[in-house]
Amino acid sequence: MSHLDRRNFLKVLGTTGAGACGVVAFSCDDKRQAEKIAAAQNEGLSPSDLDWGKAPCRYCGTGCGVEVGVHDGKIVAVRGDTASPVNKGLLCVKGYHLPAMLYGKDRLLYPQRRLPDGTLKRISWDEALDLVASKFKETLDKHGPEAVAMYGSGQWTIFDGYAALKWVKAGMRSNNLEPNARLCMASAVMGFVTQFQSDEPMGCYEDFEFGDDFVLWGHNAAEMHPVLFSRILENKRKNPGVRIIDLGTRRTPTSDYADMYVEFRPGSDLAIANGILHLLVKQGKINQAFIEENLVFKRGIEDLDQIGYGCYEEQAERYTFKDKGRDSSLEELTSFLDDYSPKKVSEISGVPVQQIRALADIYGDMSRGTVSLWCMGVNQHYRGTWMNNLITDLHLITGKISRPGSNPFSITGQPAACGTVREVGTLCNRLPADMVVMKPDHRAKAEEIWKLPADTIPSKPGYHAVDMFRALSRGDVKAMWIQTTNPWVTMPNLHRYDRKPGDGRFIVVSDIYPTPTTDVADLILPAAGWVEREGMFGNTERRTQHWDKLVDPPGEAKEDAWQIIQVAKRMDMGHLFPWPEDDWHKPMYEEYRSFTHGTGKDLASYDALRETRGLRWPVVDGKETDYRYAAGHDPYVKKKKGVHFYKAKGYGEKAAFWIRPYHPPPEEPDDEYPYWLCTGRVLEHWHTGSMTRRVKQLQQAAPGAYVELNRADARGLGVKPRDWVRVVSRRGELKLRVRIDDRGKPPRGSVFVPFFDEHKLINQLTLDSMCNISKEPDYKKCAVRIERV
Amino acid sequence: MRRANRTCLKQRCLTAGQAISVLAVGLAMPVIQGCDANRPIQSATKKAVATKTTAWIRAERRAFDGAPPVIPHEKLGASCTACHSKTGIQFGEMGFAPPMPHESSDTGRFSRCEQCHIYVQTQEIFVENTFVGLRQDLRKGRRLNELAPPVLPHPVFMRENCMACHTGPAAREEIRCTHPERVRCLQCHVPVTDTNEFER
Repeated sequence: MSHLDRRNFLKVLGTTGAGACGVVAFSCDDKRQAEKIAAAQNEGLSPSDLDWGKAPCRYCGTGCGVEVGVHDGKIVAVRGDTASPVNKGLLCVKGYHLPAMLYGKDRLLYPQRRLPDGTLKRISWDEALDLVASKFKETLDKHGPEAVAMYGSGQWTIFDGYAALKWVKAGMRSNNLEPNARLCMASAVMGFVTQFQSDEPMGCYEDFEFGDDFVLWGHNAAEMHPVLFSRILENKRKNPGVRIIDLGTRRTPTSDYADMYVEFRPGSDLAIANGILHLLVKQGKINQAFIEENLVFKRGIEDLDQIGYGCYEEQAERYTFKDKGRDSSLEELTSFLDDYSPKKVSEISGVPVQQIRALADIYGDMSRGTVSLWCMGVNQHYRGTWMNNLITDLHLITGKISRPGSNPFSITGQPAACGTVREVGTLCNRLPADMVVMKPDHRAKAEEIWKLPADTIPSKPGYHAVDMFRALSRGDVKAMWIQTTNPWVTMPNLHRYDRKPGDGRFIVVSDIYPTPTTDVADLILPAAGWVEREGMFGNTERRTQHWDKLVDPPGEAKEDAWQIIQVAKRMDMGHLFPWPEDDWHKPMYEEYRSFTHGTGKDLASYDALRETRGLRWPVVDGKETDYRYAAGHDPYVKKKKGVHFYKAKGYGEKAAFWIRPYHPPPEEPDDEYPYWLCTGRVLEHWHTGSMTRRVKQLQQAAPGAYVELNRADARGLGVKPRDWVRVVSRRGELKLRVRIDDRGKPPRGSVFVPFFDEHKLINQLTLDSMCNISKEPDYKKCAVRIERV
Repeated sequence: MRRANRTCLKQRCLTAGQAISVLAVGLAMPVIQGCDANRPIQSATKKAVATKTTAWIRAERRAFDGAPPVIPHEKLGASCTACHSKTGIQFGEMGFAPPMPHESSDTGRFSRCEQCHIYVQTQEIFVENTFVGLRQDLRKGRRLNELAPPVLPHPVFMRENCMACHTGPAAREEIRCTHPERVRCLQCHVPVTDTNEFER
């Protein structure tokens, strides 16, 4: 950085004749105020006086490039990076307010230990690290590797995730490593894995320019991925024939831009997708040549009694259902689809037959590019993997896949849900680069790279996230380390995890701010955030992005990966991290990268990532890949034309079309609880708001949680906007202010509550039902009643 | 949520129809920025006269120079660009709706104003914050000599409409253009490109 300082300083000298001549001119009536503000802010700085560094945005999975302006050791500005191919200079309101996120007055600055009386006491890093090491060691000795756990994040950098993976799986020899991404992306992972035997999308953001029809399945992109949505809008401006189709269970700002809004009953998207398939097959709008060349047909377990929902009877403690696929055929699909006539689908979903036909016309029109987009609406679904399968099926049966402007494209919620969780493999069953702990050759490869004896890594998967927290409250998990996430706001059916004093568990939480999760911690470790440390994220389109440390963290805050490495060293696991203390990022990344060589998931070199605005894997001979599996794009495809699903060795290098039926939701409105409850996010706040709520502008624009009601329902209840109501489910209740016809408009019999507000924990009401395959909870559907207060 | 922080609009919600009729006949309605332009948002309780946004107000409305300003009025039920057009609109003595500095685009990339510009719902904060943002640089523009045109001190991206800030009622004196009739600004005032490219 010092050479940068000097260079910039010289530039300034050259162009201005030194900053000292700067004259600040104000009109006289506001001079006093101007002086006041000048005293409080940086006097007369021009953007060229700052040191600018690059970084991806801290928040969502879009991975916008930002330039970070630093002055005097502090961030004073950011701007959209016009050189970033992701956002081309544009940011959303969260991105523009990034710098303030690091300067909340209550930053955690020192390690703190909770005393028996509940108060916190500042301790040194040495004491803190010794305490973590001794507690985990003691738990391992007394109760074995299934009693320890680490719960991380899709906001972890690649370094953090890789350190955690090594410490937990190779050091403690436990597979109890899970990320919060289980709550948001697991269904997409299992969708891609079941169909292509390799995770992550084939498409990329250029699809937003090349596509003709954008079908958004339960995805409020205008608020949750504003910059990507802007790319679609720009495409539409240039090409008026572009259409946006919004399928949803409530009207959102996205619906305002849609050419067609399709409102369906919660859960009936399964039926709608099958209804579209029905029409495509019956009308012969399928791509026979593509099917013969590239597809196999599969069918899984469909017995509802056997599958369940993960939240009733014995499944309410452990949900271990395993799907089993068998070979199927186009003929079986054809007869299976007899049950999904437009009329029947319309009855299930409430969607008019004409709209189902219109959707089939869109997917069946071979002259137009179709991009399906989805995010939490599909993933947080009691049959999330099935829904992922069905959307991809629509593209497979029409051959509209791995082509610019035609792809099934799952959009990621978190900045490194792809880069860290899905690629490093910080999940209870995973290892880097699509490998799993269940396969001996995969474990052997990891052990070889890590220079460890054979059978170091255990073969049995650990607890998935929800079961991990259930095990914690049962007492089967006794020591847990939580980093960069806030489960005491985000776990469904939150009351289950209320802690009782003296429960014998040891919970460590690393974060940058106090949260409801640090409130229950026995030890709190202060973390360095975003550009206070070096890092890498990987975004939705497989782009790995690196940033340098740009400012010092406050107090004694330290980066998560450093914390893990220090604890490992204290547990005699230092051999896992054999790099110099002052220069471990590059060798760590290069070791991780060696997992990806020759796998089709090849990552770019550390040096290349430092110099570019990120590169999309597979990166072969320094060249990134825009479209996976596509001839002429993906270096692993040797064909001259078409596609090659070369990762799916188990399917003869073809993609699997999965037949998936409709199942009803686990809980539906009834006389006692007559409303659907859907939960979600808002534009201004990032997840639980622990960062964005500390930003004045964002907090003042979205101060607290509320409940969106339909106008007719509100009239029936006799409530007006801003009135208080009580929302009650079988699991909890919450007092909220009413909003009507605001930015979201739920249909009759349906309400929406955002989850960012730690003082209004809507997850105390949600049901912990899960996708049967991915074990991702469904936050979008449960039954509530509304009471006037 | 305190109600005291309401601006001078006093919860006056215009229906879309009303807003359009206002636009059509140009009646003075307490709609736009001018009504609270000479005081910080939180103390704007009185009906105000038209004044230009001061440096203080300008800074109050954004986290730092370069951040999108928050919206200083309530929702009016009309589209943002109906008033914040290429030229802006004067509403009698009530105030001036400044023009939009972004390249005019009603349906494209910049058409979702509310993804960057947000309404202030409350003055309450969650936790104090010590962030100090970059302040607008009001030094005289850099130039080769007294007669040479100054170079642009800020990036042009999303500020393509120079007139929006440098001419008309919204332009502050320090940055007011003396020669708006010469519409091709960039032929004499060149952007400084040295900081646009990231360098290491």
